[in-house]
Amino acid sequence: MRSALLLAIKDVRVILSDKGNIFWVFGFPVVFALFFGAIFSGFGREPSGMRVAVVDEDGSEFSSLYVSRLEAHESLKTERLERKDAMDRVRKGNVAAAVIIKPGFGGGFGAVFGGSDPKLEIASDPARQMEGGYLQGILAKAQFEVLSERFSDRDWMRGQIGSWRNEVEAAGGLGDTQASLFLNFFDSLDTLLRDANDENFQPGFDGDILNFAKTDVQRQREGPATPFQITFPQAMIWAVLGCTATFGISIVKERTNGTFQRLRVGPLGRAHILGGKGLACAATCAFVICIQWIAARIIFKMPIDNSLLLVLAGACTILCFAGFMMFVSTLGRTEQSVGGAGWAMLMIMAMIGGGMMPLFVMPPWLRSVSHISPVKWGIYAIEGAIWRHFTFAEIAGPCAILLAIGTVFFSLGVILLRRQDN
Amino acid sequence: MIEAVNLTKRYGDIVALDDVTFGVEKGETFGLLGPNGAGKTTAIGLLCGLLTPDGGTVSLAGKTDPTVTEVRLSLGVVPQTLAIYEELSAEQNLRFFGGIYGLSGSELKERVTRCLEIAGLGERRKERVSKYSGGMKRRLNMVCGLLHEPTILLLDEPTVGVDPQSRNLIFDTIEDMKSQGRTIIYTTHYMEEAQRLCDRVAILDHGKILDMDTVGNLIAKHGGPSHVEAEFEDGTCDSDRVKACVDGEHIQLDKSRIRFETSRPMESLAELNRSGLRLSTLKVETANLEDVFLNLTGRRLRD
Ligand SMILES: Nc1ncnc2c1ncn2[C@@H]1O[C@H](COP(=O)(O)OP(=O)(O)O)[C@@H](O)[C@H]1O
Ligand SMILES: [Mg+2]
Repeated sequence: MRSALLLAIKDVRVILSDKGNIFWVFGFPVVFALFFGAIFSGFGREPSGMRVAVVDEDGSEFSSLYVSRLEAHESLKTERLERKDAMDRVRKGNVAAAVIIKPGFGGGFGAVFGGSDPKLEIASDPARQMEGGYLQGILAKAQFEVLSERFSDRDWMRGQIGSWRNEVEAAGGLGDTQASLFLNFFDSLDTLLRDANDENFQPGFDGDILNFAKTDVQRQREGPATPFQITFPQAMIWAVLGCTATFGISIVKERTNGTFQRLRVGPLGRAHILGGKGLACAATCAFVICIQWIAARIIFKMPIDNSLLLVLAGACTILCFAGFMMFVSTLGRTEQSVGGAGWAMLMIMAMIGGGMMPLFVMPPWLRSVSHISPVKWGIYAIEGAIWRHFTFAEIAGPCAILLAIGTVFFSLGVILLRRQDN
Repeated sequence: MIEAVNLTKRYGDIVALDDVTFGVEKGETFGLLGPNGAGKTTAIGLLCGLLTPDGGTVSLAGKTDPTVTEVRLSLGVVPQTLAIYEELSAEQNLRFFGGIYGLSGSELKERVTRCLEIAGLGERRKERVSKYSGGMKRRLNMVCGLLHEPTILLLDEPTVGVDPQSRNLIFDTIEDMKSQGRTIIYTTHYMEEAQRLCDRVAILDHGKILDMDTVGNLIAKHGGPSHVEAEFEDGTCDSDRVKACVDGEHIQLDKSRIRFETSRPMESLAELNRSGLRLSTLKVETANLEDVFLNLTGRRLRD
């Protein structure tokens, strides 16, 4: 253990003495996170706002509530326009998207959940998919906020219940027992709402229904809360990739300049020496990730859903790439060839794995290709802990995949290194 | 102490080492002398277990596997390539390698200080190795292999490309090691080094040992005659008298000067002296390992 630590300390010293390494391991990932984080949030910490045209064709009380909610949203800059003008602006690129509220939007609960005929339309340039994605999140959030406000309005609720009752009655598809089950439910709900006075409605009922509504909101609003929740997992991955390449190169460097051979004629076994390298790589990764974590929390106020799972996800990602590093080091016999081949390989893995383009904006075909990239599993696990609300069981899958990949490539690397040595 | 029996190592079609057998006694300094590509580094690699032989066996201190920890701890290797961390200082390098051999605390500190002294790097101990001259790096490369005070030392061309000062420092160190009774294998393509340092020398070429003996015996066997050139004081000499004294061949005599080849130059000179002929100048070129190599292979050591 002491010698593994000695090896690791030596490696970190050697690596940190090179400014290029510092850039790849520390600088680049942070620049990456800030740059893209800033782009996605419209530059600057207080986003100046995505320009959005709003067309209210419904004109109901609900829709005007909704529009004012959008207008109040800090990351949107809204403009009320007619449909024709709005589309024009989108075409000319003056606004990122047009939100069209169709007639019937305020007609009730059913309209919100869309069904076959959505009452909310987003018109945007497909090239600005990124913004479209964020806009969707904001729109869904506003919708649920307005709705949950509505739940606390007793009269509105009773009206809704009445119309749902009519809908159920009119719907032919339900069997008799099912239909009467619903009707009974609506009736008792209506009785409850009618008899409750406003005082006991507020704390009691309101709470319950709101809770119900809130859980719904949470499940629906699965998107990231800030763009930094997308870019920081990527930055963490880039830091890990930087370490992977740097330490992979450092193995071949030690092999070409003979220090590896000098270590091997010493009392340590080969696995021990390589283990020390892996440890140094992992420790460096962990250190950089911790710095990023602290920066994300303190400077960018990025919410983290589950810190414990983030530690787990980070550790598995690090172990995976520390193992992968061993394999990278066998990709050539010189620093240049390992650096070239290694980075090429890591870049491709990052590209298809969501290290550059976030997973959720990827076209479906690319998203299925991404399964073969360990970068994807790393990002997926880290995102799971930050904003995907993963449970332990859910994060265990990607973590297991990461560990498996790491073990396979570590073993493969050690075998190939042994072969190259003879 | 060190045994190599029928050692063979191939790289594809190249036979780097071809059925090589030699043994080194405890306390002996054994030289492997040969030009570039002769197989010296390969031999060292096989001896210390970095390479596995395609044939034959190695034994160090009675153990047939050089990778067992016990052997490792008593083995010091100074590789031909500069196996040191350029990004670290001399002191950091030494402390690191010492730590790997299990040294720590005041013992480590003491040995690091002594090694820095031996290498003449005491003043620049805290400087990054990348700023050192070639000679300084070589010296550090050497002491990194001596730090744990090994009983068996394998030195692979430790003086390649160094300045005369560094070379002398390295020689002094090795002679010091010799006097401490360590068993040393020293490879080189400089015949003067082998001649000066080694008790016995093996002449290696194309992976084969051509001959192996003490330096004196090798020269006597393969070196050929010495060349003697002398001038007589008076300006006159009796050619018959001179020829009677000289035990050699190709004798050239003109007026006051004589040139001849002999395998026993000292005897001839003593004879000349005894017969009363006074010499004003004298030049003796004795055979050396270079001549041994030339006579064995038809080629020179360098180039
Ligand atoms: N890793 C290797 N791969 C292929 N050939 C090698 C390798 N190492 C050495 N050789 C060849 O083996 C022969 C002996 O090399 P080496 O032991 O390094 O010689 P020396 O140290 O005496 O200069 C040379 O012909 C060299 O080209
Ligand atoms: Mg060599």
